[in-house]
Amino acid sequence: MHHSSEFIHYGVIASSIAISSISVGLGEGLISWSAISAINRQPAARDDIMRVAIIGMTLVETVAILGLLIAILLLMYTNAYVTNHYAHYAEIGIACAMGITGLVIGLASALPAQAACNAVARQPFFAHRISGFMLMTQVLIQTPMISAFLVSLFIQGQSDAAITFSDSLRLLASGLCVGLGSIGPAIGLSAFAKAAVTSLGNNTKAYDKLLSFTFISEALIETPIIFCLIIAIILLFAIPKTPITNDIDGIIFLAAGLCAGLGTLGTGISSGKTAAAACTQIGNHPDAYNMLSRTSILAQSLIETVVLYTIILSFLMILFR
Amino acid sequence: MNSTELIETQEWSFGSIIGYEDNPLLIINSEIVIHTWVIMIILALALASINIILQYTTIGRFLLIQLVSFFIDLTKQSLGYFVFSHCVFAGSLFIFIALCNTASIIPWLDEPTRDLNTALALGIISFFYIQVAIIKARGVRFYIKDFFQPFFVMLPLNIVGKLSSIVSISFRLFGNIFGGSIITKLYFTAIRGSILLELLGILTGMNFLIIAFFTLFEGLLQAFVFAMLTLTYLSIGTQDSSH
Repeated sequence: MHHSSEFIHYGVIASSIAISSISVGLGEGLISWSAISAINRQPAARDDIMRVAIIGMTLVETVAILGLLIAILLLMYTNAYVTNHYAHYAEIGIACAMGITGLVIGLASALPAQAACNAVARQPFFAHRISGFMLMTQVLIQTPMISAFLVSLFIQGQSDAAITFSDSLRLLASGLCVGLGSIGPAIGLSAFAKAAVTSLGNNTKAYDKLLSFTFISEALIETPIIFCLIIAIILLFAIPKTPITNDIDGIIFLAAGLCAGLGTLGTGISSGKTAAAACTQIGNHPDAYNMLSRTSILAQSLIETVVLYTIILSFLMILFR
Repeated sequence: MNSTELIETQEWSFGSIIGYEDNPLLIINSEIVIHTWVIMIILALALASINIILQYTTIGRFLLIQLVSFFIDLTKQSLGYFVFSHCVFAGSLFIFIALCNTASIIPWLDEPTRDLNTALALGIISFFYIQVAIIKARGVRFYIKDFFQPFFVMLPLNIVGKLSSIVSISFRLFGNIFGGSIITKLYFTAIRGSILLELLGILTGMNFLIIAFFTLFEGLLQAFVFAMLTLTYLSIGTQDSSH
């Protein structure tokens, strides 16, 4: 029993850094591949394309740095709770939060940088604006990573005090909720950001309209992540009702976390694809911006109603258990 | 016990009604109410001095005109036509929420919107305004008929769908501001320990970046999204969907 729980501890440390590093490596490979093919197409814009690619890679690397910070933090506290097995079970939540989120975000934030390299090759004199636009979209894509980092810090702080099985399941559920919740929205955000940067490369005159549309749409696509963060924080602060050890509480917490996390999957992807289609059309016809943006925002806010049902359900599960 | 202590120790709890007292998200915090009053006083002072701003300061005049024309454009853009009261409503929501979201840059002040109660209150205000506007625009008969829309059985689903717009609009605001304020607070408590870290934070601009992104940018963006969504819901409801 003792050795198996230590095995879990070191496994969590390894997976929180390794999985995010794998995705960051793949993402940087994708960026450099499209940078080289863009230079091949437009050799005169070599410096601009290289600059855009390097900025993109630096931002993608943030994911691996956050994973490294969590791994170092866990390694520093290894001796603090050697005898507490429940703390080690709770730490699986950190692996879920950092691992799943890192895996998705590392690849997702590489897509707009890829599109930006191609866009700069197409419009070399607009490189400055394109790189700024890419920077903004990438920063917004990486907010789930920050929320996962935050929840991991909280789990690490509380895992020391976990003394029952339901406590450790609660912390595990909190990490799972954030990790699973970021998959769908991150895919949607990356699809949207890729479409936005590509359509900026196709039509530079639509810059102002694309910029304001990007702000609103990314805030809307990101909303499921925020809901998951709220559920995760509620789980972190929820205290088991019965003083006696009761495993059913922990199973309810786990179900609530899974419900909130899995509920965002379809919503995030479809909301992102809706906004991406609207963005492509705005690039083609900037005159129809009013109608396109209104339709897209309306569709997105209706799509997001679905995720609210799962959030309300998991909220009620935690409250009235 | 003096009066300030009395105010700080009093806590009314929604959680205590349903037997769930420990969750800090469900407690009505009296500090937040006082911070909201401070913001209201700031807004009232700005309103009282609006003639001075318009007559004697060029920058204030320019900014005010920009803000008003921005909201007129936004209303036209999202509704497709211009209604003065909708424009004023969305604009005042934006100004109040933007000030609430960025209140933490003023010393001793917290963001009132990081409390779920403030965000829910704003969402409910927006919801009732939208319902009244729909009834005014389309008539009571249409409004009631809309609940039975595809067929009679859909009534409960339609009611839940209408009510969920409150939760969607207010949880979005609350979650973003709450997350941002937690991140900034964690960062500043982390660097408070050593002088070296604080100096490094000031000199590299990290302090400024964190505040600029999580407080100013996120706060203004979320206030804008709130006003924009109110206008969008208005345009869904008041427009004829039959053609």
